[in-house]
Amino acid sequence: MSFIHYEHKMAAHCETGTLSGLLHFNGLELTEPMIFGIANGIFFGYFKLPMMIFPAFIVRIRPGEIRKNIEKRVGIKFHIFKYRDQHKAQIDLDNLLARGIPVAVQVDFFYMDYLPAWYRVHNNVHFITIIGKEDDKYVISDCYYPEITKLDAESLRKGRFAGGTSAPKGFMYYPESIPKSFDLPKLIVKGIEKACYNMLKIPLPIVGVKGIRRFSKKVVEWPGLARDIDHLSHEVMKINVLLEDQGTGGAGFRFMYATFLRQSAELMKNDGLMDLSAKMMKIGDDWREISVFAARIGKNRDLGADRFAELSNMIMDRADAEEQFFNELYKFVKTIKL
Amino acid sequence: MNQIQPDQLKHDIKQLIIDTLNIKDIKPEDVPDDAPLFGDNNPMGLDSIDGIEIIMAVQRKYKVRMDDQNVARFILESINTIADFVSKELETQNS
Repeated sequence: MSFIHYEHKMAAHCETGTLSGLLHFNGLELTEPMIFGIANGIFFGYFKLPMMIFPAFIVRIRPGEIRKNIEKRVGIKFHIFKYRDQHKAQIDLDNLLARGIPVAVQVDFFYMDYLPAWYRVHNNVHFITIIGKEDDKYVISDCYYPEITKLDAESLRKGRFAGGTSAPKGFMYYPESIPKSFDLPKLIVKGIEKACYNMLKIPLPIVGVKGIRRFSKKVVEWPGLARDIDHLSHEVMKINVLLEDQGTGGAGFRFMYATFLRQSAELMKNDGLMDLSAKMMKIGDDWREISVFAARIGKNRDLGADRFAELSNMIMDRADAEEQFFNELYKFVKTIKL
Repeated sequence: MNQIQPDQLKHDIKQLIIDTLNIKDIKPEDVPDDAPLFGDNNPMGLDSIDGIEIIMAVQRKYKVRMDDQNVARFILESINTIADFVSKELETQNS
C-alpha cells in the first residue's frame, strides 16, 4: 500500500497540531494557535489527588476537550472509534488508510521509537496521524518529529493499547464533515469569553487565577512533603517540565495563546487584541522565568525556605498579572461588534 | 540592528552562552561551531535547562523570539544553527 499525500508540519502541541493537520488535509485552514484559542484551551488547575504525594498543576484544559470544543463551536463532525479488540482496531485503521483517509490516533508516547530514547516517556495522551502502511510499517506524521516517518505495527499496537491512566484504548478519529462556512470572528469571541470564565469565574479554589494563587501559597509547604532532598529537587524541576515540555509550546501554553490573539487581531483588524497579545507574551516570558528558576534551584539542590518563598512570590505575581489580563480581555471582547 | 558578520555572530553567541550560564574555563575559541550543544561532544556539556536559559538570553540580546519549544530544539542544535536562525531573523527585521 502506498501512503496518502499529506502535508507534514511540526507543531507545538500534539492535540492541536494533529487536528490542524487533519483539517488542512480536508480543506479547512485553522492554525494550531487558532484551534487552541477557539477551543478555550488555556487554563490553570492546581490539584492533589489522594494517591499523589505531591500536588500537580495543569496549564490547559483536559486532553480531548480541545477537539470536542472545536466540534461543538465550528460544527465539524468527527468519526470516532474506541476499541477493546486490538485486532479489530488494526483492521479498521487499515481499511480507512486503504480508502485514502488519514487518521488521528491516540498513543503512549513511549512506543514512538522513531524519537530518541532519552526523549520518550510514558504519556498516554500523545496524538499522531497515520497516513499509510508499507509492509509491516505504518507511515506516520508526528508533529513532534521533523519529517514523515515509519513505525512498525507492533510498536503502534503497544502504543494504542498501553494501560494506565488515560489509556488510549485504541482511540482514533478523522473529520467526517466540515461546514462550508462559519463565522470565525464569532467563534474567536466565544472562545475568549469561555477562557476568561475558566480563568476568573469558576467557583473552585484550585482553578484559574485562584488555582495559581493556591499554587503560590502551597509551594512553600513542598519541602515538608518530600522524602529527601533528591525527591524535592525532582518535584521542583518538574515545574519546568510541566511549563516548558510536554507540548506546551513554551511557558505553559501562554505563548500559544498570545499567538492566537495576534492571529485574531490580524484577521479582525483589531489593534486592541494586538495589544492584548503583547501583554500575554510578556506574561509567558515571566512564566518562563519561573521555569528556569525552579529548574536551577532543583538542579543545584538550592532548596532552602528562602528559595521557596522567592518561588512563591514569583507565582503570586503571575496570578495577579493573569487576573488583570483576563479581566481586561473579557471587558475588551464585550466591546467587539460582530 | 546592523548586519553582523557570520564569524563575529558565532563568536558573540558563544560568549553569550558562556556568560549566561557562567561556564568557567571555557573560551569562545574552545567551542566548535558544528558540534551538538547538548551532550558529551561539546566542551560546554549543556542540558535542557541550559537550553531555556540560552533561548531567553538570545531573545533578549537580538530581539528575536523562539517561543515554540519543538522548533527551538532544532535551532539549539549547534552554534551554526543558532547563528543561522538569528541572522535570518535580523535580515527579516531589517528588510
